[in-house]
Amino acid sequence: MKDAMEKSSISKNTVAFGWSLALCSVLNALLVIVKEKSPAVQAAMKKMTGHHWVTHAAVIVALFLVFGWVFARIQDGRSPVNKLIKIIVAGVVVAGALIVGFYLIAD
Amino acid sequence: MNEIILMAHVLFGVACILTAVWVFVDVLNANQANLTRIRWLSRAAAVFMWLAFVVGGYWYVVFYSADKAIILKGPWPFAHNYFMETKEHLVIILLLLATYLPIVTANNLVESKEARRLALWVAALIPLLGLMMEGHGAVIAMGVKMGLLANHQ
Repeated sequence: MKDAMEKSSISKNTVAFGWSLALCSVLNALLVIVKEKSPAVQAAMKKMTGHHWVTHAAVIVALFLVFGWVFARIQDGRSPVNKLIKIIVAGVVVAGALIVGFYLIAD
Repeated sequence: MNEIILMAHVLFGVACILTAVWVFVDVLNANQANLTRIRWLSRAAAVFMWLAFVVGGYWYVVFYSADKAIILKGPWPFAHNYFMETKEHLVIILLLLATYLPIVTANNLVESKEARRLALWVAALIPLLGLMMEGHGAVIAMGVKMGLLANHQ
């Protein structure tokens, strides 16, 4: 009875920034691989702020905010929560595996 | 001074982990009486994470090169080559998760079972990743110690 009375919706911002979180986690991992494999990219990132890691973090945080803002305006906020949870967990796990795998095996 | 900065980094990181665990437990029992507390604790977890990130980032950019040289000349070069390299990038995911937590708990957790489930997942990922970061930090510190001991003998 309690479950039937419960609302199933979450806010548009919750859906939008959840998608953004998953996407930016993976982009974070891909940027690690690109900058470690390309000295030119790493040098350019270093030139921007004085340290490649500062640029890296600033870019990912900025993308998280921008994607979250954009997604909040292009979707209706009706994305199923189960799907959103799977996307967030998958994004975090895939990103973590890419980073760990890269430094463990490829680098 | 740089030791104080490093300890502050660890302190804020632990505070973020403990606060996220508190949020997790409170969300399991979400009701009108604790909803305000859940939201404030979520914001606190995000603030603690940002403080840990900024303080740790400052230390990493300004002071870490000396430690890195000691680690790489010592018997535990993997403390930098694997543990620091993964830590400095995994922590960005943790920062995003902690920033997202207050957005999730801004929903009506009392009325929405789905919002509670999402909040539980996000609140659970933070201490899991946070404890991993604490462990990585311990190995990095041990790498410096091993390097110093090796050079001292």
